[in-house]
Order: sequence, then structure tokens, then C-alpha cells
Amino acid sequence: MNNSYEKALEFANYQYTLSLKQKQLREQNEARLTYGYNGGLFKIDQTLINFVEFLISKNRVTDTILLDSHDRPVLIEDLTEFQSEILDRYFSSVNEYFEEHQKIKKQRSVEKLLDD
Amino acid sequence: MTEGILIYCFNNTEVDYAKMSLISAYFAGKNLKKPISLVTDQSTIDWMITSDLYSKAERLFDKIILQERPRYTNNRILHNGPAKYTVPFLNNTRYSAYELSPYDKTLLIDSDFIILNDNLNEYFKIQQPVILGESIQDIYDDKRLGYLDKFISETSIKMRWATTVLFDKSEESEIFFDLVKTVYENYNTFSSIFRFSPLQYRNDVSFSVAEHIMNGFIPASRYYLPSILTTLDRDILHSFENNKFTFLIDENLQENYFLTAISTQNIHIMNKKSLIDRTDKLLDTL
Repeated sequence: MNNSYEKALEFANYQYTLSLKQKQLREQNEARLTYGYNGGLFKIDQTLINFVEFLISKNRVTDTILLDSHDRPVLIEDLTEFQSEILDRYFSSVNEYFEEHQKIKKQRSVEKLLDD
Repeated sequence: MTEGILIYCFNNTEVDYAKMSLISAYFAGKNLKKPISLVTDQSTIDWMITSDLYSKAERLFDKIILQERPRYTNNRILHNGPAKYTVPFLNNTRYSAYELSPYDKTLLIDSDFIILNDNLNEYFKIQQPVILGESIQDIYDDKRLGYLDKFISETSIKMRWATTVLFDKSEESEIFFDLVKTVYENYNTFSSIFRFSPLQYRNDVSFSVAEHIMNGFIPASRYYLPSILTTLDRDILHSFENNKFTFLIDENLQENYFLTAISTQNIHIMNKKSLIDRTDKLLDTL
């Protein structure tokens, strides 16, 4: 019984380290998706990306007002340029998140998780 | 417009804040790519010269600003893992940051705050005269934090954190820092009004009170700097290698340790002694 208990504890330790690491990656991704622009602060997410795409499709591309993550109105002079920036940031961040996430999924011990 | 970082450091007999400020400045400069100034006193400078740190300080800091040594207000008990020690608390003149900072926009940070990414650069673009750290976040689990890490007292306002403060040189910022000074100078009086303990002076409390007053005594919708990821002083910095900080985290504050590592998230390391001990090799390379 002692042996199985020790193994279970070892696994619990691994599991906790893994979940901490996943939490760190999630927060790191959130931080990278924070975008300061023209006095406001935006959270780059799928809603923002879709809304910007919608506005561009309606030809609202110059001097557009968007609400930032604190619901403050922010003037976006060139929405196409803004879209290009948020898309770049979004994909570079989630790609990195994906790669890191794949790496830690393969690590089966606390030591290996910490090495990453 | 000039942007930069400001660090305060006043050595005492137990903690080598001078070393810590160099470590903190190294990472802040490397990741935010902004000039850094140090506010310190003559005795700390003398110690830097004696311990061969001054030439490194001259290289790392854009400006070294001399201030009179702050007057002693109280002792503080700190842990180094399970061990305890008492230090005099001297870091009580942060209200002078507005006056002393050479930059139009300044990020004021604690010397035990290690910046490992460039995320804070985004906050320089926000138009708000003073932006405080919103809260702290325990590296292990928020269950290790107490109520008084979240509020300044059992019956009072939310605690904001002065570990990171971003401010500009506007009139509103000046009023804010003057008010922080007033709270500091009348700490007992404000403790009666806001019902916090006056026994130990805390910058976080003064900054929280000043912000609350400036908000018109109501919680207002403001921008805050990101939550401050923190290791407690009961935790031990096990090693620093290849830009990775590995910590022994005291799970339940009863010396049951758990390993974790950080390399790309900003981290507030409250165990100052282990930060100094484990980064000695890095200091040699600066």
C-alpha cells in the first residue's frame, strides 16, 4: 500500500506542477494580448478581431471609435492598420502559446516540466 | 516624451538592497529597454563602493539620485524560508518619486520585482496620470493570501500595490504624491479614519488611501497595472540558471515544499535574501 500511495503522491505532485505551468502559460498569453493604443488598453480576443473585421467590411475604416477593455472610447484613426497590428499580435501570441502547450503536454515528470 | 524606470534602495544591516536593485535594474532594462534611475542615500553608495558594486551601478543606471537616508519608522519581520529576521523599514519616502524622477513617464518598481517580459510597455500608452498595481497573485494559490493582502483592513477599502506604479508629470500626479506624503506624515490619523493598523508603515496602504481619496471616496473605474505575481518570503529561490528562476514553494506555510519555475512572467520575490544569494553569479557578469 505504501508503494501505491507514494506513486499516487508523486503523480499528484506532477499534476499540480502541470496545472501551475498551464496557468502560467495562459496568463502569459493574456499578457501578450494586452495592447495599449492611443491612450486606451485593448484585450485582443476573437470578439475584438471579429468586430474590427465587421467595421472594415462596412467601410468604417477612418476615425473609428472603439471601446477599450475599460469601456473607454478610443479613437482609431486607421482601422486597417489597427487590424493588421492586432492580428499580428494575436497569431504570434497564440502560436507561441500552442507550441509551449504542446511541449509541456509531452513532459511526464516534474523535473522535465521545470526544465522547459 | 521621456520614459524610464525608477527604483528606490536603502541598505540596512540585514538586506543588501544595493545588490537587489542591480539585479532588478538588469532585468528591467533588458526586457523593457528603458533607462533606469536609482534613488538611494550616501551610506548605500559608500557600501556599493566598498563592495565593488558602484561601477556596475554606474553602468546599469541612467542616473543615481541621492536622497537623505529616510528616518527609521519601524522594524519589519521577514522570512528567509523558515528562518526569521528583523529589519528596519526605511523605504518610506516613495512620495518623493514625482519630484525626483527625471522622466516624463515613470514606472516605479520595488527592488525585489523582477521584470521578465515587455508587457508593461503597453501600459505606458495609457492616458491616466497614476496607475497602481491592481492586486497580488500568489504563485502557488491565492488561498495562501490573507484578507489583509486584498483589503487595507477588515472594514475598509481595497489594497492596491505600490510594487509597480506608473505615473506621469501631470498636476494630478503631483497632487496624488503630495497626498501620499500627507498620509505618511499623518499615518495614525488616517489609520483611525480608514481603520488600518498603524503599527507598521506600508507604502501599499498609503497609495491605496490616496487613490481612494482622489477617486472621490468611491471605487472608480480606473486602469490598473497587471496583478503582481508573487512568491512569499516563506518560499525559497532555489536556483537561477539560464534566465530561469526555480522556487521551492512552501505549499501550506508549514515547510512542505513544492517546485516551480518562472522564466517569462514578471515576478515579485519577497524572500530578499534568497534572491541576493542565488543571483550572485549573475551579478558577477554585469
